[in-house]
Amino acid sequence: MRYALLVLGGPYSHQAAHSALRFAHAAIARGHRVGTVFFYHDGVYNAAHFAAPPQDEPHLVDAWRELQRTQGTVLQVCVAAALRRGLLDAREAERHGKSGASLESPFELTGLGQLLDIGQTHERLITFAP
Amino acid sequence: MLLHLLNRAPSSSSVHQDVLRAMGEEDGLMLIEDGVFGAVSAQVQHFPGLEGRLFALREDLESRGLAGRCDARVIIVDMDGFVALTEEAQRTVSWF
Repeated sequence: MRYALLVLGGPYSHQAAHSALRFAHAAIARGHRVGTVFFYHDGVYNAAHFAAPPQDEPHLVDAWRELQRTQGTVLQVCVAAALRRGLLDAREAERHGKSGASLESPFELTGLGQLLDIGQTHERLITFAP
Repeated sequence: MLLHLLNRAPSSSSVHQDVLRAMGEEDGLMLIEDGVFGAVSAQVQHFPGLEGRLFALREDLESRGLAGRCDARVIIVDMDGFVALTEEAQRTVSWF
Protein backbone atom coordinates (compact mmCIF):
# COMPACT_ATOMS: atom_id res chain seq x y z
CA MET A 1 0.00 0.00 0.00
CA ARG A 2 0.97 3.59 -0.42
CA TYR A 3 1.27 5.30 2.99
CA ALA A 4 1.55 8.94 3.96
CA LEU A 5 2.50 10.22 7.40
CA LEU A 6 1.49 13.53 8.95
CA VAL A 7 3.93 14.68 11.62
CA LEU A 8 2.69 17.42 13.97
CA GLY A 9 5.27 17.08 16.76
CA GLY A 10 8.65 18.78 16.90
CA PRO A 11 11.83 16.73 17.27
CA TYR A 12 13.37 16.30 20.73
CA SER A 13 10.27 17.65 22.51
CA HIS A 14 7.68 14.99 21.76
CA GLN A 15 7.77 11.37 20.70
CA ALA A 16 5.77 11.98 17.52
CA ALA A 17 8.72 12.21 15.12
CA HIS A 18 10.36 9.09 16.58
CA SER A 19 7.09 7.16 16.36
CA ALA A 20 6.54 8.28 12.78
CA LEU A 21 10.04 7.27 11.72
CA ARG A 22 9.78 3.84 13.31
CA PHE A 23 6.37 3.38 11.74
CA ALA A 24 7.83 4.30 8.36
CA HIS A 25 10.61 1.73 8.69
CA ALA A 26 8.16 -0.96 9.82
CA ALA A 27 5.79 -0.20 6.94
CA ILE A 28 8.64 -0.45 4.44
CA ALA A 29 9.75 -3.72 6.00
CA ARG A 30 6.23 -5.05 5.38
CA GLY A 31 6.52 -4.19 1.70
CA HIS A 32 4.64 -0.90 1.72
CA ARG A 33 5.68 2.36 0.15
CA VAL A 34 5.91 5.50 2.29
CA GLY A 35 5.14 7.99 -0.46
CA THR A 36 5.01 11.22 1.47
CA VAL A 37 5.71 12.63 4.92
CA PHE A 38 3.98 15.95 5.56
CA PHE A 39 5.27 18.17 8.38
CA TYR A 40 2.87 20.63 9.96
CA HIS A 41 2.59 22.70 13.16
CA ASP A 42 5.76 22.23 15.25
CA GLY A 43 6.47 19.17 13.10
CA VAL A 44 8.13 21.56 10.64
CA TYR A 45 11.17 21.68 12.94
CA ASN A 46 11.96 18.17 11.68
CA ALA A 47 13.20 19.95 8.56
CA ALA A 48 15.59 22.34 10.35
CA HIS A 49 18.70 22.33 8.18
CA PHE A 50 20.99 23.50 10.96
CA ALA A 51 19.90 20.84 13.46
CA ALA A 52 23.04 19.55 15.16
CA PRO A 53 22.14 17.11 17.94
CA PRO A 54 24.88 15.38 19.98
CA GLN A 55 26.52 12.60 17.99
CA ASP A 56 25.35 9.88 20.36
CA GLU A 57 21.70 10.79 19.87
CA PRO A 58 19.42 9.99 16.94
CA HIS A 59 19.67 12.64 14.23
CA LEU A 60 16.05 12.95 13.20
CA VAL A 61 16.59 15.44 10.38
CA ASP A 62 19.19 13.15 8.83
CA ALA A 63 16.90 10.15 9.32
CA TRP A 64 14.18 11.86 7.26
CA ARG A 65 16.74 12.72 4.58
CA GLU A 66 17.82 9.08 4.53
CA LEU A 67 14.22 8.00 4.04
CA GLN A 68 14.00 10.27 1.02
CA ARG A 69 17.32 9.04 -0.35
CA THR A 70 16.66 5.32 0.02
CA GLN A 71 12.89 5.15 -0.47
CA GLY A 72 12.12 8.19 -2.59
CA THR A 73 9.78 9.46 0.11
CA VAL A 74 8.66 13.02 -0.62
CA LEU A 75 9.23 15.32 2.39
CA GLN A 76 6.73 18.18 2.34
CA VAL A 77 6.69 21.03 4.83
CA CYS A 78 3.74 23.37 5.28
CA VAL A 79 5.04 26.76 4.15
CA ALA A 80 2.80 28.82 6.44
CA ALA A 81 3.81 26.83 9.52
CA ALA A 82 7.48 26.91 8.48
CA LEU A 83 7.80 30.64 7.78
CA ARG A 84 6.27 31.49 11.14
CA ARG A 85 8.94 29.36 12.81
CA GLY A 86 11.93 30.67 10.90
CA LEU A 87 12.29 27.78 8.47
CA LEU A 88 12.92 29.30 5.06
CA ASP A 89 14.40 27.87 1.89
CA ALA A 90 16.66 30.07 -0.25
CA ARG A 91 13.78 31.44 -2.26
CA GLU A 92 11.69 32.42 0.75
CA ALA A 93 14.75 33.80 2.53
CA GLU A 94 15.42 36.10 -0.38
CA ARG A 95 11.79 37.11 -0.59
CA HIS A 96 11.80 38.05 3.09
CA GLY A 97 15.19 39.71 3.06
CA LYS A 98 16.95 37.09 5.21
CA SER A 99 20.45 35.77 4.71
CA GLY A 100 20.96 32.00 4.63
CA ALA A 101 18.45 29.20 4.22
CA SER A 102 17.30 27.16 7.22
CA LEU A 103 15.46 24.61 5.09
CA GLU A 104 16.95 22.82 2.13
CA SER A 105 16.29 19.96 -0.25
CA PRO A 106 15.09 17.22 0.03
CA PHE A 107 12.56 19.02 2.23
CA GLU A 108 10.09 21.02 0.13
CA LEU A 109 7.99 23.95 1.24
CA THR A 110 4.46 23.44 0.05
CA GLY A 111 0.93 24.61 0.71
CA LEU A 112 -1.58 22.99 3.00
CA GLY A 113 -3.59 22.06 -0.09
CA GLN A 114 -0.97 19.34 -0.69
CA LEU A 115 -2.20 17.63 2.45
CA LEU A 116 -5.63 17.29 0.85
CA ASP A 117 -4.00 15.81 -2.27
CA ILE A 118 -2.11 13.34 -0.09
CA GLY A 119 -5.40 12.15 1.32
CA GLN A 120 -6.55 11.40 -2.22
CA THR A 121 -3.37 9.89 -3.62
CA HIS A 122 -2.30 7.64 -0.73
CA GLU A 123 -4.21 4.64 0.57
CA ARG A 124 -3.37 5.33 4.20
CA LEU A 125 -2.65 8.55 6.08
CA ILE A 126 -1.40 8.18 9.65
CA THR A 127 -1.10 11.20 11.96
CA PHE A 128 1.62 11.41 14.61
CA ALA A 129 0.81 14.22 17.02
CA PRO A 130 2.61 15.72 20.02
CA MET B 1 -13.68 -0.34 10.57
CA LEU B 2 -11.52 2.49 11.89
CA LEU B 3 -8.37 2.27 13.95
CA HIS B 4 -8.13 4.94 16.64
CA LEU B 5 -4.70 5.96 17.93
CA LEU B 6 -4.41 7.38 21.43
CA ASN B 7 -1.15 8.80 22.79
CA ARG B 8 -2.39 10.22 26.09
CA ALA B 9 -2.56 8.45 29.46
CA PRO B 10 -6.08 8.30 30.92
CA SER B 11 -4.70 9.81 34.13
CA SER B 12 -3.39 12.94 32.40
CA SER B 13 -6.06 13.63 29.80
CA SER B 14 -9.76 13.00 29.36
CA VAL B 15 -9.49 12.63 25.59
CA HIS B 16 -9.96 8.87 25.97
CA GLN B 17 -13.60 9.62 26.85
CA ASP B 18 -14.00 11.37 23.50
CA VAL B 19 -12.42 8.36 21.79
CA LEU B 20 -14.86 5.95 23.44
CA ARG B 21 -17.83 8.12 22.45
CA ALA B 22 -16.59 8.26 18.86
CA MET B 23 -15.76 4.57 18.45
CA GLY B 24 -17.93 2.32 16.33
CA GLU B 25 -18.76 -1.20 17.45
CA GLU B 26 -16.07 -2.78 15.30
CA ASP B 27 -13.40 -0.08 15.63
CA GLY B 28 -10.06 -0.83 17.21
CA LEU B 29 -8.12 1.28 19.71
CA MET B 30 -4.34 1.34 19.60
CA LEU B 31 -2.50 2.80 22.60
CA ILE B 32 0.85 4.34 21.71
CA GLU B 33 3.42 6.56 23.44
CA ASP B 34 2.01 7.69 26.84
CA GLY B 35 -1.28 6.10 25.84
CA VAL B 36 0.16 2.74 26.93
CA PHE B 37 -0.23 3.80 30.57
CA GLY B 38 -3.90 2.96 29.96
CA ALA B 39 -2.98 -0.67 29.31
CA VAL B 40 -1.85 -1.49 32.84
CA SER B 41 -4.33 -3.33 35.03
CA ALA B 42 -4.94 -0.37 37.31
CA GLN B 43 -5.96 1.84 34.36
CA VAL B 44 -7.58 -0.49 31.86
CA GLN B 45 -11.02 0.04 33.42
CA HIS B 46 -11.06 3.30 31.47
CA PHE B 47 -11.60 1.23 28.31
CA PRO B 48 -14.63 -0.98 28.98
CA GLY B 49 -16.15 -3.19 26.31
CA LEU B 50 -13.11 -3.23 24.04
CA GLU B 51 -11.98 -6.81 24.52
CA GLY B 52 -10.35 -8.17 21.41
CA ARG B 53 -9.90 -4.71 19.90
CA LEU B 54 -7.75 -2.89 22.45
CA PHE B 55 -4.06 -2.86 21.52
CA ALA B 56 -0.87 -1.44 23.01
CA LEU B 57 2.49 -0.90 21.35
CA ARG B 58 5.14 -3.18 22.83
CA GLU B 59 8.11 -0.85 22.44
CA ASP B 60 6.29 2.01 24.18
CA LEU B 61 5.35 -0.35 27.04
CA GLU B 62 8.94 -1.51 27.31
CA SER B 63 10.44 1.97 27.22
CA ARG B 64 8.23 2.90 30.17
CA GLY B 65 8.99 -0.25 32.16
CA LEU B 66 5.41 -1.49 31.79
CA ALA B 67 5.91 -4.60 29.65
CA GLY B 68 5.17 -6.98 32.53
CA ARG B 69 2.27 -4.96 33.90
CA CYS B 70 0.03 -4.86 30.86
CA ASP B 71 -3.49 -6.17 31.54
CA ALA B 72 -4.38 -9.54 29.97
CA ARG B 73 -7.34 -7.93 28.18
CA VAL B 74 -4.94 -5.80 26.12
CA ILE B 75 -3.39 -7.24 22.98
CA ILE B 76 0.29 -6.30 22.78
CA VAL B 77 1.57 -5.67 19.26
CA ASP B 78 4.97 -4.65 17.95
CA MET B 79 5.54 -2.00 15.28
CA ASP B 80 4.99 -4.61 12.58
CA GLY B 81 1.64 -5.48 14.17
CA PHE B 82 0.76 -1.79 14.38
CA VAL B 83 1.31 -1.45 10.63
CA ALA B 84 -0.79 -4.58 10.06
CA LEU B 85 -3.68 -3.00 12.01
CA THR B 86 -3.51 0.11 9.81
CA GLU B 87 -3.71 -2.18 6.76
CA GLU B 88 -6.93 -3.77 8.03
CA ALA B 89 -8.59 -0.49 9.01
CA GLN B 90 -10.10 1.68 6.28
CA ARG B 91 -8.81 4.77 8.03
CA THR B 92 -6.80 5.69 11.09
CA VAL B 93 -7.86 8.47 13.46
CA SER B 94 -5.35 10.04 15.87
CA TRP B 95 -6.44 11.48 19.22
CA PHE B 96 -4.17 13.69 21.26
